[in-house]
Amino acid sequence: MLPSSTSHSRVLSLGEAELTARSDRKVDWSILMERAQAGDAEAYRRVLAEIAPYIRSLAAKWCREPDEVEEIVQDTLLTIHAVRQTYDPARPFGPWLAAITKRRIADRLRRSGLRRQRETPLTREHETFPGTQANNPVGAPARRALGLAINRLPIGQRQAIELLKLREMSLKEAAATTGMSIAALKVATHRGLKALRKLLAGDEVR
Amino acid sequence: MIPTPDLINLLADELTPVRRLRGPMTRAARWLLLASIVTVMLVVAHGVRSDFWRCLLDRSFVACTAASAATGICAAVAAFLLSLPDRSRAWALLPLPALAVWFSMIGYQCLTNWVVLDPDGIRLGEAVRCFSTLVMTSVPLTITILIMLRHSAPLRPVLATLTAGLSVSAITATAMSAIHNPDASIMVLAWNFGTVTAIIGVSGTIGRRFMGLAFARG
Repeated sequence: MLPSSTSHSRVLSLGEAELTARSDRKVDWSILMERAQAGDAEAYRRVLAEIAPYIRSLAAKWCREPDEVEEIVQDTLLTIHAVRQTYDPARPFGPWLAAITKRRIADRLRRSGLRRQRETPLTREHETFPGTQANNPVGAPARRALGLAINRLPIGQRQAIELLKLREMSLKEAAATTGMSIAALKVATHRGLKALRKLLAGDEVR
Repeated sequence: MIPTPDLINLLADELTPVRRLRGPMTRAARWLLLASIVTVMLVVAHGVRSDFWRCLLDRSFVACTAASAATGICAAVAAFLLSLPDRSRAWALLPLPALAVWFSMIGYQCLTNWVVLDPDGIRLGEAVRCFSTLVMTSVPLTITILIMLRHSAPLRPVLATLTAGLSVSAITATAMSAIHNPDASIMVLAWNFGTVTAIIGVSGTIGRRFMGLAFARG
């Protein structure tokens, strides 16, 4: 019983000590801020330097990006500078500081939320170059293999594949261009595709 | 982005002494004093309505005027409290009960009387006089309260300007109920219903920009 109650009281006293230290610090900040209102630059420098880590810890709960957290810290410091006459030393400093910090965090979250809605981050896939070949480096070997395979086809099949599949002509247009009948074109395309499949599969096996 | 310690040094170097704001109640009371001076000047300039003393016996007139005055006072107090960062935003609810009573009693006669046709010809109706009085009262009050609340720009600009606009409208309505002649329109407040919306809308939209400007200039 005794050890547990001792450790419990230790935790309590630690908590109390921390609380007292924290409220003492806020009393200090309150005094420093009062001096800053009177124009004491050193007191002001001290209070701003001491509250910056506190603002940073509040901001870090909401934002992960270190840059964004730092921007919130700076926005909050600038706001404090602009509204320093609204602090009443008769009232606690903590809620005043926390309220201003929360405003700036909310602003930043709203702004970054809007930005996320409007913008998409640029990834490697979005990078593009004027040359058509350069845009698709992954597909290039496959295209070359296909070109070679088409070249190995008999002339009728090669023509049919090129006109109907690669240039995407209609059967009628292809028939007019080659002078072959539509039925012959269909047969040639069918055989050509079959042969290509065989050739490319053979390439893969090899 | 400059490093935070540099920013702190910069702010400390350009620190100037500031005069601490007085309590929100004191500031609200000062503005309300100004508002009552404007009201009294208006009443002196126009004279009270011919049946003013008889109106005081009319329970609904007294209740309506009291409700609009209470709305004005509560909204002004709320605006000054909301302009401070560490006061609860629930203060925005303060003027709502009085506002509900006031709105429940508003009439519409003034709006119907823009032009009068009589044997002497056409002349401007009560509504035009009503409008000019309205502008003369509400413009100076709006400008002063927005200047007094300018430090709330980076904190709660919309709530502060909304309650300030409501306060100006309610006080203007109160002032006009004392001077407006019931022959033209018994209840002027209908007009003010429009003003409430207009002032709230205008201060809501330009308020942020105006306060942002004031904030930028320090």
